[in-house]
Amino acid sequence: MKSRRLLATTMTGGAAAALTLVLLRRRLGPLRLDRGRAALRLFVRGGVRYAASAPRLFVAAGERRQLLREDLALQTAEDVAGTLGAMKGVMMKIGQMASYVDGGLSPAVRRTLARLQDSVPPMSPALAAAVVEEELGVPPERAFARWDPRPIAAASIGQVHRAVTLDGRAVAVKVQYPGIAETIAADLRNVALIRRMLRIAAPAQDVDALLSELRDRIGEELDYRREAASQHLMAAYYDGHPTIHVPRIIPELSTRRLITSELSGGARFAELATWPQHERDLAAETIYRFVFRALYEVGAFNGDPHPGNYLFHRGGKVTFLDFGLVRHFTSAELQPLLQMARTICVEHDPEAFRASLENAGFLRPGAPLSTQEIVEHLAVFYDTIREPGPVTITSDYASSVVRRFFDLRSPVAQYIAVPRSYVILQRINLGLFAVLGELSATADWRAIAEEIWPFVHGPAATPMGQAEAAWRARRHAIAA
Amino acid sequence: MTADLYATATGLIERSAAAFVSGVPEDPADDGLFGPASVAWRVSADLASPVAGLRSLLMQALHPLAMAGVDQHSGWRRDPVGRLAATSAYLATVTFGERAVAEQAAARVRRIHEHVRGIDAVTGRRYAAGDPALLLWVHAALVQSSLAAGRAFGTPLSAEDSDRYVAEMMVAAELVGVPRSLVPASVAELERYVASVRPGLSCTPAARQSMAYLLDPPGLDEEIADFWQDVRDAAIAVLPEWAQQMYGYSTPPPLTPGRRAEIRQSLGVLDAMSLGQPGVLEARQRIMLRMRAGRPV
Repeated sequence: MKSRRLLATTMTGGAAAALTLVLLRRRLGPLRLDRGRAALRLFVRGGVRYAASAPRLFVAAGERRQLLREDLALQTAEDVAGTLGAMKGVMMKIGQMASYVDGGLSPAVRRTLARLQDSVPPMSPALAAAVVEEELGVPPERAFARWDPRPIAAASIGQVHRAVTLDGRAVAVKVQYPGIAETIAADLRNVALIRRMLRIAAPAQDVDALLSELRDRIGEELDYRREAASQHLMAAYYDGHPTIHVPRIIPELSTRRLITSELSGGARFAELATWPQHERDLAAETIYRFVFRALYEVGAFNGDPHPGNYLFHRGGKVTFLDFGLVRHFTSAELQPLLQMARTICVEHDPEAFRASLENAGFLRPGAPLSTQEIVEHLAVFYDTIREPGPVTITSDYASSVVRRFFDLRSPVAQYIAVPRSYVILQRINLGLFAVLGELSATADWRAIAEEIWPFVHGPAATPMGQAEAAWRARRHAIAA
Repeated sequence: MTADLYATATGLIERSAAAFVSGVPEDPADDGLFGPASVAWRVSADLASPVAGLRSLLMQALHPLAMAGVDQHSGWRRDPVGRLAATSAYLATVTFGERAVAEQAAARVRRIHEHVRGIDAVTGRRYAAGDPALLLWVHAALVQSSLAAGRAFGTPLSAEDSDRYVAEMMVAAELVGVPRSLVPASVAELERYVASVRPGLSCTPAARQSMAYLLDPPGLDEEIADFWQDVRDAAIAVLPEWAQQMYGYSTPPPLTPGRRAEIRQSLGVLDAMSLGQPGVLEARQRIMLRMRAGRPV
């Protein structure tokens, strides 16, 4: 037995998948989960390990990538296939998924995924330019007034270049690796192998659900037009907002493998952490407003609330980047969520809360549980907004939310499931708490929530709320 | 059965990776025996190299005297993984190491070979590991297997590069004591040589046991065994038909493009596993940088 495990460990030293198998499975083995619990665990999208620890091939890996020596750059499409083909790109994606689906990977697996990610160098200037030319019909020097041949960051299966448009706008141009779509599509066809890796990476999960999630995510990331459309939607909605800034898309310079958007500056998350608490609170308030306004008014959620996707400015202004993982919700899909919040936070009606959980498919109808048990189990998710008054969101709170998701021993857990359409929403929810917890952000979240909840439409709760109300009034005036 | 005769395959990837890293110098004084512009460097970096390695062991084991030497002397049963890692380290050193370091490693191998003598229980024939005939077979099996595996699952070489590779590798045979005049210098010579040895080849019990062990190493976790199974199928698929028959392997299903892609994908997973081992990425980058620096622009 011992040698079996040792071998497994060494064989997988590199393979995210296999090591996860060994470590997670040993850890979770005794808790073989049924589908309901598995779904609950799937609920956990983007847990607390969002930051430096999460392997992020497909999303900004920026800083580290810049350290790579340019002389290792990918020079041809064959180099791309050699580096990200033969399952490696898919493995990194599976690892990334497992990291939020299974509550974090073991350090060994994370190290391996990081190595895999490190093994992906940037494109050479010539290769990136060739993609631009294929997409726009002219080389970058002609498509743009100025083109920086050196990438400034890594991005979703590509990299970001600085440029200036012919009409003088400073822009960021995201360029996709050539051939990556075909390479990954071919690898995704090996369903048997992917199932094997998924079973290893997230042994407790429903493999079919994970497989379709993986296909969806990769499919979305491969077509930049989708991301451009989401970003355009958000930029248009938040246009003129006092603190929320979404860089505008330049549609004529955006294609399947290219996204051109306004270039934005600002401080990174790590720098924000050194700013005074007052600034951090304001930034947190902006992020909170951004997430919930987008959800309830645009019906759109950015499924990737990663600190690397924010740029910070003094006074609570935040620039939001990377809309590669946006999920759109219909108002019918949003209603149950609002109802749950209303019944537990506003009406304080446990039975109605339970009924709304059942109606939305979160709770199995007729579960042999007292309503009090159910409320106690789920209330933690509403802790910050159940009562008015300032609340500090701590890292401990963020962790406790995650822990509750993993609390499979609770008698309640087995009756809880997350309908597929809401899965990503919870990822955002938890990712948001992780970010706010990291900032130790204090605000009267309940009062802010009341501003946003359509069933309350509360008055402006903060100066930012007042500025936002003025912005909304202007929007309505223009619309009218 | 084999589990009782051999130690488990614990640490196969970890130790092979460490062996590879140990052979790739950080700041070499010279380009070694092959150099960054060689075909040999390209072949070593190929995704298909685990298949090449396994196929060459399968081929080498069919020589009764070569197999007897390994079986009776090398600690193979006691520490098969260590033995394989030692071979990997040697190959990496000879391929990427400085000239002097490669020569020292070869001298060490020659010294060890002096003590490896005996009588093969099956054929009753005497053997000595320093016998150029045995060394040449081991050499030829490796070179031919690299070509075969690369052709099927890696980046195939042009006919010209294949010949160049065979010619480049002559120095490796010389290094362990084979007179250069005996060593095949082209693909055609290599094939003629292999055909000439074939009548003397057979699958002895030692070969059967050793290879059964390698094809299905005890101690592999079941999910990993899946990946290994693909490597094994691949190695068998690129064996000559007569070798498949000597082992009694049923004829593998034809290598359709879909099947090739699947095997490449499994090789990619294994490659990622080894990439996750300490130092492997850096060693590969060192090689890549030297190859790029040596490449005519």
